[in-house]
Amino acid sequence: MRRHHILFALLAFALIAPPVFAHAIGGSDAQFVRNTVGADPFPFLYLGAKHMVTGYDHLLFLLGVIFFLYRLKDVLLYVTLFSLGHSTTLILGVLFDFGVSAHLVDMVIGLSVSYKAFENLGGFRKLGFELDNRIAVGGFGLVHGLGLATKLQDLGLNPDGLLPNLIAFNIGVEIGQLIALSLILVVMTLWRTTRSFGRFAIAANALLFLAGIVLAGEQLAGYFLAGDA
Amino acid sequence: MSEHEQPIAPVQLKVSGKTLALITGGGLVAGALIVLGAIMPAEFNTDPLGIGKLSGIARLWAPDEIEVDTNTAGGPLAREYNTAPRTDVIEIPLTDFLGGAKGSELEYKVAMKQGATLIYEWEAVGAKNSNDIGFDFHGHTTPEPGQEMTVASYKASRGLSQKGALTAPFDGIQGWQFSNFGDGAVVIRVKLTGFYDLVPSGQEGNLAGIVANVPAAQARPDFQPNQP
Repeated sequence: MRRHHILFALLAFALIAPPVFAHAIGGSDAQFVRNTVGADPFPFLYLGAKHMVTGYDHLLFLLGVIFFLYRLKDVLLYVTLFSLGHSTTLILGVLFDFGVSAHLVDMVIGLSVSYKAFENLGGFRKLGFELDNRIAVGGFGLVHGLGLATKLQDLGLNPDGLLPNLIAFNIGVEIGQLIALSLILVVMTLWRTTRSFGRFAIAANALLFLAGIVLAGEQLAGYFLAGDA
Repeated sequence: MSEHEQPIAPVQLKVSGKTLALITGGGLVAGALIVLGAIMPAEFNTDPLGIGKLSGIARLWAPDEIEVDTNTAGGPLAREYNTAPRTDVIEIPLTDFLGGAKGSELEYKVAMKQGATLIYEWEAVGAKNSNDIGFDFHGHTTPEPGQEMTVASYKASRGLSQKGALTAPFDGIQGWQFSNFGDGAVVIRVKLTGFYDLVPSGQEGNLAGIVANVPAAQARPDFQPNQP
């Protein structure tokens, strides 16, 4: 029984983790990125991993994606699709200096959490509208990558050594994602073996849906009220 | 072989339409309430439902601050203004420290344009000990949501009186936060002369609703100390 408490503590933390952990690359990290000239792969690797592990909107989405994936093969497939998506927009977005408002991107990322929760609840099937899961996950991967690209661009990257640094950052993102995913997988696998999974799966996805709405609403408010922050 | 060709169909929950509507509708309503009632007041200084003010969450918001150096200043020593100077006497009643933050602490500021000067003199009437009154003499701009706030700190100390002159470093509000740490009620009598405007009751700088140029007993009509 004690296992449940740990699971719920983890889940609760994921939901109420304060926005300071959120998304933007800030403080001394931002300063480091601005001041870097030339290829400097390992710090960027670390920053990419840190960004992913502490980016709870990415994590909530991943939690939604693997909620009902029992086979490791499926997990790998979806995570690969997601990674392909966000790698594409991260690298192309920065290289071609293409980006949209970070608030709007983060809003869509929030909505992606709600989308996945709604799908887990069988909502789309009920509505008679079923988008291939692989397309949805790959598509949201593109959006998540655009969010990363926008934030990196805001920091004013030096063109000298841009591509190696970007690739290092992207590999870092994948490493961070693997770390986070392993933790989520362990928790989910443990949870699935318990009886409470059946009872609380609906509640967990309802909470995911709510969390996505809050994330999206916060970013929407930020878009209109926080200027260019 | 066959396992490879199996279509990937993740399991989904089977939830009744009613439950689904409840979850999504409830999620949308609760999410909107959290954003409008808590996140917007705390993070963006916007309070569409008034919940932020009611719950005190709105007090969490503070703009980014830019501190101004108040010890050195440029500008002409002789200045001319195209507005009339004014004189006010403001009597601020403070309860003893048991009256809590609402009664024993209060902020009073006036609005000044950059370069405008005022002469001030204040004293704490009825204070028993020289360190009963804490004051923080400071000023700041009144930024729009999302903008940074420029702040100037002149003096934060304890004492029963202060007299001097101030030239505003920026357009904004300038004045004092007074705190009574003593065990008796006091009146802070502030005399001002110069180029400034009083801040209307309830606005930033005069949130306590102090009325100028009336005796202390009538100076804070919106507040009744709940003590004998």
